[in-house]
Amino acid sequence: MSTLFQQLVNGLTVGGIYALIALGYTMVYGILKLINFAHGDLCVLGAFIGLTVITSLGGASGSPEIWVVGLAFVAAIIAICCAGVVLEFAAYRPLRNAHRLSAVVSALGASMMIENGIMLIWSPQTLVFPQGVLPQISWHVGGVVITFTQLMIIVISLILMASLYLYVNHTRFGTAIRASAIDQDAARLMGINVNRVIVSVFILGPALGAIGGLFIGLYYRQAVFDMGWTYGLNAFIAAIIGGIGNIPGAMLGGLLLGLFNALAGGYISSTWQQAITFGLLIAILLVRPTGILGERVAEKV
Amino acid sequence: MHKKLAATLAACSLAIAPVTAMASGTVTFGVQAPITGKYANEGQGIEKAVKLLAKQQNADGGLIGKTIKVRVCDDEGKATQAALCARRLSNAGVFAVIGSYTSGAASAAQPVYARANIIQTSDGTADKLTQRGFKTFFRNAPPNSAEAKFTGNYLVNVRHFKRIAVVSDHSSFAKGLGDAVEKAIKANGGNVLTRAYIKSGSQDFTSVLTSLKSKHPDVIYFSGYYSDGGLLRAQEKQLGMDVPFVGGDANQNVAFAKIAGKAAKGTIIINVPAPENLPYKAAKQFISAYKKAYGSAPPSIYTLTNADGMRVIMKAVQETNSLDPNTVENYLHNKIQKFPGITGPISFSKNGERIGSAFQAFEIQADGSYKTIYPKQ
Amino acid sequence: MKEQIYRWAGPSLWVLGLGVPFALSANWISILALFAIYAVVALSQDIVLGRAGMFDMGHAVYFGVGAYTTAILNVTYGWPIFWTMIPAIIAAALVGGILAAPLVKLRGDYLLVATIGVSQIFHLAMVNNTAGVTGGPDGIFGVGVPSIFGHQLISQGNEYLVDWGLLGIVLLLMKNLEHSRLGRVFRYLKEDELAATTLGVNARYYKILAFALGAGIAGAAGTLFASQLAVVSPGAFVFTESVTLFAIVLVGGQASIPGVLLGTVLMFVVPQVFRELAQYRYFAFGIGMIVVMVVRPQGIWPRRRRMG
Repeated sequence: MSTLFQQLVNGLTVGGIYALIALGYTMVYGILKLINFAHGDLCVLGAFIGLTVITSLGGASGSPEIWVVGLAFVAAIIAICCAGVVLEFAAYRPLRNAHRLSAVVSALGASMMIENGIMLIWSPQTLVFPQGVLPQISWHVGGVVITFTQLMIIVISLILMASLYLYVNHTRFGTAIRASAIDQDAARLMGINVNRVIVSVFILGPALGAIGGLFIGLYYRQAVFDMGWTYGLNAFIAAIIGGIGNIPGAMLGGLLLGLFNALAGGYISSTWQQAITFGLLIAILLVRPTGILGERVAEKV
Repeated sequence: MHKKLAATLAACSLAIAPVTAMASGTVTFGVQAPITGKYANEGQGIEKAVKLLAKQQNADGGLIGKTIKVRVCDDEGKATQAALCARRLSNAGVFAVIGSYTSGAASAAQPVYARANIIQTSDGTADKLTQRGFKTFFRNAPPNSAEAKFTGNYLVNVRHFKRIAVVSDHSSFAKGLGDAVEKAIKANGGNVLTRAYIKSGSQDFTSVLTSLKSKHPDVIYFSGYYSDGGLLRAQEKQLGMDVPFVGGDANQNVAFAKIAGKAAKGTIIINVPAPENLPYKAAKQFISAYKKAYGSAPPSIYTLTNADGMRVIMKAVQETNSLDPNTVENYLHNKIQKFPGITGPISFSKNGERIGSAFQAFEIQADGSYKTIYPKQ
Repeated sequence: MKEQIYRWAGPSLWVLGLGVPFALSANWISILALFAIYAVVALSQDIVLGRAGMFDMGHAVYFGVGAYTTAILNVTYGWPIFWTMIPAIIAAALVGGILAAPLVKLRGDYLLVATIGVSQIFHLAMVNNTAGVTGGPDGIFGVGVPSIFGHQLISQGNEYLVDWGLLGIVLLLMKNLEHSRLGRVFRYLKEDELAATTLGVNARYYKILAFALGAGIAGAAGTLFASQLAVVSPGAFVFTESVTLFAIVLVGGQASIPGVLLGTVLMFVVPQVFRELAQYRYFAFGIGMIVVMVVRPQGIWPRRRRMG
């Protein structure tokens, strides 16, 4: 039994990270119907920027103060938000009225550019986060181990997701975001500045992604330039499982995917874990293409 | 039709025939390595090592009086690109090629080099590489089977483990080594409790570890790479498992201890001695020169085995005073005996296998250094 | 007059290509030989993506099925290479058709995601040495070379001519498809599925057919690919390869033969030329992809709109 609970704790931690990243995919998709393939790499860029702040301010050996970690988050968030906005402006906005797949290819190019850019700046080596950045505390509850880092990730992710949910559903600007997602033209007619909404989505998504990326770095204590694809793909799947374009769906999808991966790897087969995940994805698509929380909407062609 | 084919054949063989660079007073060494992509770290290490050796040799009057030039081709660790690289390098008239890092890419290039009679030395550990009858191929790292033999004996007969869990990732190298170790454990009468897989780079191994924990192994053997191994060890400790961790050769990288942090202590790694622990004079010299030139230590032992591959080829050229591939190949196969390499004495078997590598089991200490624990010294 | 030039430019270029082994260096022969193979795969991807309008991001799978079929039949059972091409085509077409049967009901991005899933599962199945025939992560070594009348076509030039021959056949096929009923049905399905259905087109049947056709052609290319590299390994058919094929069609121009060929040149040949730049190459390449799409969203050489 403790094994099961342990798998749940592990799954929930990763799930929280997936959910944070998935939100970036889903918000962009919701409004632009664009799969932003560069989003995973943006998150990884966040991890690298955070790492640079931590190692340069924290000293090579000593354990950095907690304010350094805070600063790392702030720096990563600001940098990635800027990168997100630049990306939208340079690579996606000019293609707003083109064939949908043109923007997808542009996103693939952006992904390649960011990934290789990270490699050029930070070297292709696996970079290691110093130990002791976060308190090394862990609790043992009936055979289940939970560390401070895990708890922090789970709690902060949940808080962020709840805030985003409230923001989108209970503020004027949140309403504008939802309206633009449903029908851009109608939203425009209602006096909503859709361009501003889109820019805001390219700020919110990358901000959450940067936090997710830095969580990855702090949890696993390493960052490597090409990990964007893995996390990007998983987060993207999470967004689909929950119903792409649907914000609570991305949260639910992330948590479910984390749990599912943990259980599939732990109980069914670690050899085929990935295949099982993708099998589930295809099954969900066939049975309920719009995901768990997605509504049935008219096809945009 | 036949005539045309014959003409094509002739045209092509002319094109392939090595454009001998001897008259110009230079000799070209090729580097075929993954400069971009997943293995960029290792590939760039190989490139740096070869360039360093060439520079040293040139400062020393060159190779039998000729200046060494280096040509690099990025194979991205992919078979397709490797085949293209092989053609590109052979067309550039290289005398020998160092690389590639991955077995898959090395094997795709093999036939091309063999056809053009270009000497190739690679660290690719897949056993098949030396079983294809190419006389141009020399493996500079010990193959999986040799390491597995040592590991099987160590786990079963030396440490008397009874419930061994073997963990691998899906890479050619790690799966091959894991399979070979599993076989060796059984050959020694040992018991493989379970075989588990992780996805390299996925960073979250807690689900695999948690299910391992419930099976109560008395040792975890991991055949994959250090970046995953360090995390695996850290997460093992984090989950409160207190089971010895034995890692295969690719775990031997300074980053392992950094990633695993406090959990690194007590980890056992099986490999030829670590770069900094290599007792050989050549090793100390080369590593300090490398650090001086590039400001960081070589990324892994494979940087050094590939450097050894180049060094032994240069040695054979000097001894035979010849740049004729057949002469040099013959010398490498038959005459090189215990050449003092960076990674230990080097000799080659008839099929280009590196023989007589000294494996050791060493334990990571609290300060991250290695201490050899078997064989007793 | 202009029409005439258009009509003859393509075939003349192809004939000119026959001279490559006699005119260019070994380097270029090998690059262009693989170009021919990738061009065939890209054209087959275009059938599914550009012509029938289905977002297929797992096309390397069918290419892989063909290559593996050839490798297994040749290495394990000693079949001559050319003979393995038939089962390779059939196997790839079957896999394409069978996978498509449930998947084609998905639209747009959902299909795209499902095909990504398929490509990941395929890769893992090859790595895990399913049924003990795929050779695991090492793949299968020692695939032979094709022979004609007992002559082994061992030189690069001959390999090239075989590849170029296949490219010629596929180009003819594409040209015919363009003017055939089938090609028109695909186009209707892409442009307005609802309308096509009301006109009595069995959408599902034709969509599966598009997949099977595209997959079969990719399978044929797989045969030559396996023979040319002499090794087949899972790494050659990973998801990123599918992404490249997908990008080739869009960068070049959907449903446009010259477009797809140009796309292949840009995405495959150009990186070869800039090999010396090694680690900077893909950084620049990523920027290039963005620039091309922004400047020419329809692709470099979009399909010509027919009047009337």
